[in-house]
Amino acid sequence: MTSPTVPRPPVRLERVVIRFAGDSGDGMQLAGDRLSADSAAFGNDLATRPDFPAEIRAPQGTVPGVSSFQVHFADYDILTPGDRPDVLVAMNPAALKANAADMPPGATVIVNTDEFTRRNLQRADYATSPLEDETLSGHVVHQVPMSSLTRGALADSGVSRKDAERAKNMFALGLIAWMYGRPTDGTETFLRRKFAARPEIAEANVTAFRAGWNYGETTEAFATTYEIAPASLPPGTYRQITGNTALALGLTAAGQRAGLPVLLGSYPITPASDILHELARHKEFGVLTLQAEDEIAGIGAALGAAFGGALGVTSTSGPGLALKSEILGLAVMTELPLVVIDVQRGGPSTGLPTKTEQSDLLQAMHGRNGEAPLPVIAPRSPGDCFDAALEAARIALAYRTPVLLLSDGALANGSEPWLVPEPDDLPDLRVEFATEPNSPDGSGAFWPYVRDESTLARPWAIPGTPGLEHRIGGLEKSDGPGGISYDSANHERMVRLRQAKIDGIDVPDIEVDDPDGRADVLVLGWGSTYGPIGAACRRVRARGLPVARTHLRHLRPFPGNLGAVLQAYRQVVVPEMNLGQLAGLLRAAYGVDVVSHSKVTGQPFGAEELADALVSVIKGESA
Amino acid sequence: MSTTELGMPGSHGLADVPLAEGPQTAKDYRSDQEVRWCPGCGDYAVLAAVQSFLPDLGLRRENIVFISGIGCSSRFPYYLDTYGIHSVHGRAPTLATGLAVTRPDLSVWVVTGDGDALSIGGNHLIHALRRNVNLKILLFNNRIYGLTKGQYSPTSEPGKVTKSTPLGSVDHPFNPVSLALGAEATFVARALDSDRAQLTEVLRAAADHRGTALVEIYQNCPVFNDGAFDAVKDPRERVQRIIPLRDGEPVRFGAEGEYGVTRDPRTGGLRVAPVAETGEDALVVHDAAAGDPTQAFALSRLDSGDHGPVVPVGVFRAARRPTYDDLVRQQAGRSGGDSTLRDLLRGRDAWTVEPHRRNTP
Amino acid sequence: MTYVIAQPCVDVKDRACVEECPVDCIYEGERMLYIHPEECVDCGACEPVCPVEAIFYAEDVPPEWAAFTDAGEVFFTTLGSPGGAAGTGPISADAPLVAEFPAPAH
Repeated sequence: MTSPTVPRPPVRLERVVIRFAGDSGDGMQLAGDRLSADSAAFGNDLATRPDFPAEIRAPQGTVPGVSSFQVHFADYDILTPGDRPDVLVAMNPAALKANAADMPPGATVIVNTDEFTRRNLQRADYATSPLEDETLSGHVVHQVPMSSLTRGALADSGVSRKDAERAKNMFALGLIAWMYGRPTDGTETFLRRKFAARPEIAEANVTAFRAGWNYGETTEAFATTYEIAPASLPPGTYRQITGNTALALGLTAAGQRAGLPVLLGSYPITPASDILHELARHKEFGVLTLQAEDEIAGIGAALGAAFGGALGVTSTSGPGLALKSEILGLAVMTELPLVVIDVQRGGPSTGLPTKTEQSDLLQAMHGRNGEAPLPVIAPRSPGDCFDAALEAARIALAYRTPVLLLSDGALANGSEPWLVPEPDDLPDLRVEFATEPNSPDGSGAFWPYVRDESTLARPWAIPGTPGLEHRIGGLEKSDGPGGISYDSANHERMVRLRQAKIDGIDVPDIEVDDPDGRADVLVLGWGSTYGPIGAACRRVRARGLPVARTHLRHLRPFPGNLGAVLQAYRQVVVPEMNLGQLAGLLRAAYGVDVVSHSKVTGQPFGAEELADALVSVIKGESA
Repeated sequence: MSTTELGMPGSHGLADVPLAEGPQTAKDYRSDQEVRWCPGCGDYAVLAAVQSFLPDLGLRRENIVFISGIGCSSRFPYYLDTYGIHSVHGRAPTLATGLAVTRPDLSVWVVTGDGDALSIGGNHLIHALRRNVNLKILLFNNRIYGLTKGQYSPTSEPGKVTKSTPLGSVDHPFNPVSLALGAEATFVARALDSDRAQLTEVLRAAADHRGTALVEIYQNCPVFNDGAFDAVKDPRERVQRIIPLRDGEPVRFGAEGEYGVTRDPRTGGLRVAPVAETGEDALVVHDAAAGDPTQAFALSRLDSGDHGPVVPVGVFRAARRPTYDDLVRQQAGRSGGDSTLRDLLRGRDAWTVEPHRRNTP
Repeated sequence: MTYVIAQPCVDVKDRACVEECPVDCIYEGERMLYIHPEECVDCGACEPVCPVEAIFYAEDVPPEWAAFTDAGEVFFTTLGSPGGAAGTGPISADAPLVAEFPAPAH
């Protein structure tokens, strides 16, 4: 180590994108998570994007085994986890190989030289060391022997060599924390809490973290530090939240606001399992979780609980939704409230389990036998998943219908600061169960298919209510009395009634963002593309070009003003992470020739690539 | 671990279900729907038995729920004036599980058939049984697919000629009692549709049991598999064919109790033999409550040798084990803390941004 | 409501219905067969096989034979619920209505 340098004032930046990359077992997700939490606590706005392989441990040191976590933090409100990393921390040659192409010219690369051995270079398919050839020319490269420095720092700590080595992610985090002036208390508290059962490991990690910080401070190579001032966020209480956690909290809050127990029936599936994990911890809020024997049992249990007066929920990803279709049809037929969450991933079949996609939209819309309409909604950011869960519950409870909520991998694992709402400000979701016979003929009978005039919802009469004993099921029922009916005119009436109920759901109009009102091109998105589209529009406008944007939360029914909005623009561009599923639905519904801009790499849109695409539409280069 | 040690709410299957105020009759349980099974169908006998047995339970009718899948037997809920769901094929146990977990005040029954429970719904059946959810499963076994008009089922005998097996079935069938015992079921019984007294006795025992109860009911399909159980129903023959299982008593049968069940030292299983040959002391004594289901399993696979077909009926197993739903609710009750929804939403790492100022980390 | 046997069976007793009944609830009296009103499960198997069309759903008994609707109930007053006709065999008794019915002319 060199002697301490004279401190220079930090360089002010508006924003930075940092990516940690390493082997699956290198703790990159934890390092990224802590950098996010410390940045959030510091007051930056931020967005994150974890990216990890489907294999729990792909072969060590290989490109398929690389796991990364990208954090974008800024002194203003940002919308995406960032396209390209300004700083890449590469813990081995494979991590460098997998991420090198994403770096813009002039990016900073910090490599763990200890892992750049002949064997690891071969595993990553490097003929020569990228540290010694032209691979990294144009980048600022810092070669740091992180493994040996960490081991050295822990030489007297009493932990094993293996445990010492494992703390190198905290060394890397400490170095970054120093470079960007991050607070350190949060991570130190976190480590002591996380490893409370093994204090020597906790201390080793804290020591490694501090060693990384000190290395930056004492090494001339790292002469420059950077400062990213806190963002000016609306006042209030904030926390860092992922989409899956926000969904789980939203469902818990929905149960509380409805005054109903919540039953989640779920089968573990990537990337939805964290919803099950989170809800399993909230039993004191009346949330019961049932890890079912399969996807079908998960939704079956939720529907059974709904019959008994609970808020039934099931969570899954695309392959699981396919298995749930038959009971979804039963839920449509029995007209019981149910919330179904599909955290979309790359498909078809097993596809890309850990990558993101929006390709289940048509499955959500149409993936059932018969005319089986149900409402579909989509959150647009990790924090928005909370509100979307409440909205799904509202529609399900008020209209007695299954509701499909389409999240995706980017939202599920991505995180952002979230303005924590006051429980009393959340929507009132209370429902009234039926208590009295309701037959219009005054016979004193209970008719399960008499509908509310305004919502067309049928009464929710739960077991335990005397005098309202009734049978429901998958067979067609007579309009009103609800007995089995094979009558053709009745079937037609019931099919149309079920459709009319969904079509009539109260959905707010969309608002269009067009700052100067000059735009003749509208960008319309849904779901997790909200951030990238917003960032792209900023860039387009910064180039002096007008563009309007709007974003759909409600995909069925569409907002009432959507047709008029689409007609008002010369061109409508619909970016989607599929082959144009929403675009097709819009064409069918409104006869509008929208431009589909699609991407199916398993990765979110980058702001820059999307901005370029929008510019060419605006300039009339493609339409 | 006993249920008492776990602080279970009650060891009786109906402990939490409220009782009716006045007496009830079978008529109270008849819905206004016209029964639509084929004339002579065994389902009528089971329906009549259930309608006349439910009043004896004395429960509030509104706290009883029947859930079925798909098949002839799955029409059952429509004919009972209780709450009910006619769900989808094979999945009734899943809906029943969700309902039983959230509503301990309900008596939850599943009505299913050999195709519904053992073929398309096999997975849900075995998992309901191992979980031991407080629900009762009535498995109507007619060894045929009736509603789809006569294909063989997972309980059809090998060689059976049906529309889908014109050269005879080459499938090996399940023995539902063996399957249930293998799936760790705590209550397993068998009854005949035509013997109302015995069926009623078994239904009563199932209702009393806290946990998942499986009752296999031999049920005749007069249209597609008529006479499937004639060997054990014939008035002259049946005394030689039916082995009534009585808890705590030696297993024996015949007009004078002249046949018995003994252990076969060669195979380790059980076999039928004349009591005169074996002596009374050699007869096995039925122990339905035994923690180890081995003897119950052996009874379900009895070797009758030269004696010809025999069918043990009654309760094979009625053992105590904490139920899934009780344990789930107990965990929920135990985790009651002081934390509010506000605490939950804030989490442990919240920070505050003050108005008109930059934030305070 | 169950199925009942009416006048056409008197002194006929074909017994085709007994073979058909899945729960063995049709008992043989001196001059007529009787369906046990509590043991009957309403399955309707007996009705189409009767060669003299004597079996009716209780609500559908023709007016001229209305008196037969309760004949079974009367017949079983003393017998109770034996739980199967095979166990009792033929019973040398009849409901008064049947016993008093004029014997056929020879």
